[in-house]
Amino acid sequence: MRVPFWIVIASALGGLAPGAARAEHDHGGGHHHPVDTVSSFAASVGLVAARYDTEVYAGDYQGVLPALGWMRGRFGASAAVGAYRLVENGLTRYGVSDVVLSAQATLAEANGAMFGVALAISLPTGDRYGGFGMGHMMVMPAVWGSGAMGRVRLGGSVGYGRAIGGEAHHDHGSWPLVDPMNLQELTWTANASVPLGSALQAGVKMSGGVPIGDGSNRVSGGVRAIWTQGQVETAFEVQAGFAGDPFILRGLVESAVHF
Amino acid sequence: MRHAFLLAFLVACGGSPTPTGTVCPDPDPGTLTYENFGKPFMEKYCTWCHDKAIPRSQRNGAPIYHDYDSLIGVLETPDHIDEQAGSGPKASNGFMPPGRCPSTAGGSLSVDCQQPTEEERQQLSAWIACERVRPHTF
Repeated sequence: MRVPFWIVIASALGGLAPGAARAEHDHGGGHHHPVDTVSSFAASVGLVAARYDTEVYAGDYQGVLPALGWMRGRFGASAAVGAYRLVENGLTRYGVSDVVLSAQATLAEANGAMFGVALAISLPTGDRYGGFGMGHMMVMPAVWGSGAMGRVRLGGSVGYGRAIGGEAHHDHGSWPLVDPMNLQELTWTANASVPLGSALQAGVKMSGGVPIGDGSNRVSGGVRAIWTQGQVETAFEVQAGFAGDPFILRGLVESAVHF
Repeated sequence: MRHAFLLAFLVACGGSPTPTGTVCPDPDPGTLTYENFGKPFMEKYCTWCHDKAIPRSQRNGAPIYHDYDSLIGVLETPDHIDEQAGSGPKASNGFMPPGRCPSTAGGSLSVDCQQPTEEERQQLSAWIACERVRPHTF
């Protein structure tokens, strides 16, 4: 099976949702790293829908998540943003999320196992008061790894996220509504996937954030399926929030083309 | 030209909620009270959405636990009120009320919100500054 370049990028971005990219660093999704010496690119669009219930807000949101990715050899970079319709306590708002820029490098690869580092930065393009953005820049370095155990590929990451500058008060609980994160936290992900055929994979994923200082512990998890057809890959994911009010239930469909 | 762009940007952004820096005189003059100012102010401008009797789906974005239909409700988030609607030596905040309001509590946003005068915003911050340090029995 050809190296699914896009999946590497998607794994690096946590499914390409901007928030997942910045908060969860879902690296090591279980795919071979391409050692191509030429640049390759990817473009994707995702659709997300969720229902949430935080300390002071309840409602739902739907979003369109475009993203672009580049990879050459061991290095990759991507950019992602979301455009949302957000209902909070009965009020409907429209807006964009924080832009997330991410870079990653594979440091070692042997016997199907990989280890690497990543750095994601979110820019405060989302309206903080509307629940679309953090209101400040976030810097999120992480380490990630993955390896095979029989047919099952395991992956995970550990990262650190910290707010840089701007206003540093999240006084309305879990925030921003479309993608909550603490002002300073340790992030983690764990995932496993198994091929169900030449074009289909299925997997599970857990992710979260542990606050450093004020904040709340955040845990979510879900199941996903990835269908590959030629240069197009489509992922379906259903997630549930278990702690920290990230959301009650969230569904995500992403389709990407790599070239 | 660069300053013009900066000014346009700041106007477009509208600034951010800022504590007004209002302090209660010592001794408290006691001229602004919940009965003669706070309650009528809240009923005129705030409780269309900030009322604990309004269910979440009809609050038009008002956060839960930000209910100003009682004095105890006001005193649970005095800083938010000051930073959103108050005016004082350090800031004049006009973030609340918003542009559109319901014509009935919990209704849809069908009318332009009434806006407090600058004097009323200053009185709001002055009242909050004093009321929060007064003794209460609840």
